[in-house]
Amino acid sequence: MLKVKDINVSYKDVQVLWDVSFEVKEGEFVAILGANGAGKTTTLNAISGLLKVGKGSIEFMGKDITQIPGYKVAELGIIHVPEGRRLFPEMTVRENLEMGSLFPEAKSKRKETMKKVFEHFPILEEKQHKEAGTLSGGQQQMLALGRGLMALPKLLILDEPSLGLAPVLVKQIFENIRDINNEGVTVLQVEQNVVQTLNMCHRAYVLENGKVFIQGTGQELLNNEHIKEAYLGI
Amino acid sequence: MLLGQTIICGLLLGGMYALIAIGMTLIMGVMKIINLAHGALVMVGMYVTYVCSKNYGIDPYIGMFIAMPVLFLLGCLIQKYMINRLVEVDSILPENQVLLTVGIMLVLTEAARLMFKSDYRSVTTSYSSDTVFLGAMSISVPLLIGFFIAMVFTLLLHLFLTKTDIGKSIRATSQDRDAAVYMGINSSKITMITFGIGAALAAAGGSLLLPLFYLFPDVGHLFTAKSFIITILGGMGSTMGAAVGGLILGLSESLGATYINMGYKDVVGLVIFILVLLFLPGGFRSLVKR
Repeated sequence: MLKVKDINVSYKDVQVLWDVSFEVKEGEFVAILGANGAGKTTTLNAISGLLKVGKGSIEFMGKDITQIPGYKVAELGIIHVPEGRRLFPEMTVRENLEMGSLFPEAKSKRKETMKKVFEHFPILEEKQHKEAGTLSGGQQQMLALGRGLMALPKLLILDEPSLGLAPVLVKQIFENIRDINNEGVTVLQVEQNVVQTLNMCHRAYVLENGKVFIQGTGQELLNNEHIKEAYLGI
Repeated sequence: MLLGQTIICGLLLGGMYALIAIGMTLIMGVMKIINLAHGALVMVGMYVTYVCSKNYGIDPYIGMFIAMPVLFLLGCLIQKYMINRLVEVDSILPENQVLLTVGIMLVLTEAARLMFKSDYRSVTTSYSSDTVFLGAMSISVPLLIGFFIAMVFTLLLHLFLTKTDIGKSIRATSQDRDAAVYMGINSSKITMITFGIGAALAAAGGSLLLPLFYLFPDVGHLFTAKSFIITILGGMGSTMGAAVGGLILGLSESLGATYINMGYKDVVGLVIFILVLLFLPGGFRSLVKR
């Protein structure tokens, strides 16, 4: 479904990604792991068209999307739930959800999709007329996920959904993500929360210093000596 | 009686100031820059309405519906071909976009001077000097009509921003531009439309004030200053704040003109401006939030 081939990406004059390649197949749950500054968010922003790709190509469902602008990437069905949630704080929960469904297809199904989102996250229905900025961290993350679902995504890109959440909420959000994946939405997730993510995902890639260091299934990586030492502290 | 009349006239005038300032606020919210050419856009709008009235005998309140689309287009073009070009270059600081708006202001002002000379002009209509009486208070008809139309536009804009997808996209873009792009919002298109709407509101406000103010190429500076004061009063980027700020500025100018001195009416606004910056830097919006 998504094929990233040998991309180089730079911020201003500093090159961040070096020949990064990976693939996400339809229906999969793929994780990108790595420490701070490894280039995880940069990779996602390159896919979403917010950053220009210097070399290499990105292909989505057989179409080359390397050079197309960000707002068109979303239209193809790649929906990015950004790091830090990035809600519209002074708009209501409902309005935030509506902003997720601006394309004709998503817009025509706005009501039904919203109902589904409320089934996933009942708290959002309860708070639908509150401003998004007044929600708690966990609720905001749910809203960010819900807003992503409103676009009827083919590929849902999640950037550190567990960031800044209490452990019990992390567990709940991860369960929500697994449900979403089980319903047929392909998920590409970036995480620092290594153990829980590896337990849940189908496959994972580990980035180090802007390069793909190692890849494999969740179980393979959990048993890998380097991963154990560097990320799990065992 | 004098006090009542002063207050009412001030509020009526303030409603029209508010319309101009809301345009500036809207642009500031989305672009994160202060558009120092805003007053010049008001001035251009006034000249369009003036020409319609003088050359074709079109009533200013109808002429404004010609001036608004013209200015909408002008605003879109300025945004698309001038300001957006600076946004695309990473190495240019936002401050330089502000400098660009100063340049645009100078060009518009001098172009108006070339075409119309520096003469003071005014539009007179059959009802320009009509007044209605409210008890013992007399209120000028152009003030009343202007205020009424300004309030209708403010309400329409409010509905547009809260009920339509484009309006909501404008608010979303002003709250978090990158997140808006993630949602598939074409942010450069939205900024263009926003600049257009801001310019059209400037034209509307200018046209409404045309029967009350003298028109000359430098009149824009006056309106840039007023909208700037109002925007600070209301809290940057807040539409409701700008509406309230406009009313307060109109009111204080009117009180100052009546009870201090006609010549000091602009000073009153500036004093309030400084006091707000010193003691309430977030504007009136910060009072509501707490």
